[in-house]
Amino acid sequence: MSSFAAGWRIQRRVIGALMIRELVTRFGRENIGFLWVMVEPLLFAGLVGILWRFMKGPEEHGVSVVAFCATGYLPLTFFRNAVTRSVRIFTVNSGLMYHRQIKIIDFIFVRVLIEMIGAMMAYVLIGALLMSIGEFPMPADIGALVAGWFLYSFFVFSLCLILAPLSEMSEVLEKIMPVTTYVMIPFSGTFYMVSWLAPQAQAAMYYSPFVQGMEIMRYGIFGDAVNAQWNITVPLASSMVLTLIGLVLCRRVRRRLVVE
Amino acid sequence: MIQCERVTKSYPMGSGTKQVLRGINLEVRPGEHIGFLGRNGAGKTTLIKLIGGVEMPTSGKVRRNMRVSWPLGFGGGFQGSLTGYDNARFIARIYGYEYQQIRDFVEDFTELGRQLKMPVKTYSSGMRARLAFALSLAIEFDCYLIDEVIMVGDANFQRKCHSELFDKRADRAVVIASHSPHLICDFCDRALVLDGGQGRIYTDVNEAVEVYSAL
Repeated sequence: MSSFAAGWRIQRRVIGALMIRELVTRFGRENIGFLWVMVEPLLFAGLVGILWRFMKGPEEHGVSVVAFCATGYLPLTFFRNAVTRSVRIFTVNSGLMYHRQIKIIDFIFVRVLIEMIGAMMAYVLIGALLMSIGEFPMPADIGALVAGWFLYSFFVFSLCLILAPLSEMSEVLEKIMPVTTYVMIPFSGTFYMVSWLAPQAQAAMYYSPFVQGMEIMRYGIFGDAVNAQWNITVPLASSMVLTLIGLVLCRRVRRRLVVE
Repeated sequence: MIQCERVTKSYPMGSGTKQVLRGINLEVRPGEHIGFLGRNGAGKTTLIKLIGGVEMPTSGKVRRNMRVSWPLGFGGGFQGSLTGYDNARFIARIYGYEYQQIRDFVEDFTELGRQLKMPVKTYSSGMRARLAFALSLAIEFDCYLIDEVIMVGDANFQRKCHSELFDKRADRAVVIASHSPHLICDFCDRALVLDGGQGRIYTDVNEAVEVYSAL
């Protein structure tokens, strides 16, 4: 038991150190520093929200278009950034392998965590801003919102756990990644509630872990104003299976990793 | 104690593989100084990386029952885009040391002064060697892995390394890869001569140096 406690202490120390290192290298210490991490998602959600507001009018299906757009775009940018940042993550960080207490899974965990925190901070900020001008409802169920974020993030993490080692094994993956994440958008639940779709599409979206996470998050914000329907088995089970495969792949890549 | 059992390592090369190490057996006992000798490309650095856990052996096992440092070289162990101070902070954090303590030691040992506020990639190789040494000496290890780097510094640096490593820490084990027969003869108890992926251990260091010179 004491060796577990010691391991846990080292793990926390390593994650903390890697987070600080990543933030300092990426954003530096000048001006707003690590707060930059939420600027990109913030701009994305804000500007697209304004665009939608002019294209679609103030409300759609009984909810504010701007709020709906923001709640969809922030998780989406989190997913896209996390995936992009996982590519070649081992080669880029291979210098850190000199320290045995750092494991390659820590790299992925830290990057996903930073993107997640950035997106969540942007979520809270944009929610507060929109609320002050009456464009955003008081969250109906904070618990559901957090649970939705957790399910969505867990799936993103498990996906990165697979994509990171695969990107080391084959160059092709890196080339097809941008187009794949783009094509994924309709399956991400960003632009709709499942109940707005045609029945056949509804049945298909049932199997998208993203959609499930998004439905729960949207319920957390809009409550009964949207007809949210979800099932947590799909995202949990698929994330766990992907995590397992990812861990095996990471282990294989680590054995062959060449460190300068 | 460090034990290497039938350690092999191969790297992909073109469509085939290049076998660098073909079954190395080695034991490093506490307090012992072992030198690695071998021509360029014989696998000295590779073996040090395997012992340090930086890379994994293709087959065989490396067991570490003592605190083993990371391999001290020009690049590994720190990050070029960060400043000397930031690297010291990072090392302090992951090894659970007080930053203050590491910083004082690094400032004193490296004598780099304001340069420590600059990114490490702007350092000369001698300056890097100073930083690498300072960072790893600031952490208490039972065994230090040294890959050549000791030779690059100026006389002042070599004197300092000497006193910190071989005098103040005389009870620690040291594994050192070097082309300098002089260094190996003076400081090592045993030497491993690497040739063609095989390693042979000599308890008589002078004999090892002779074999190496004839390669």
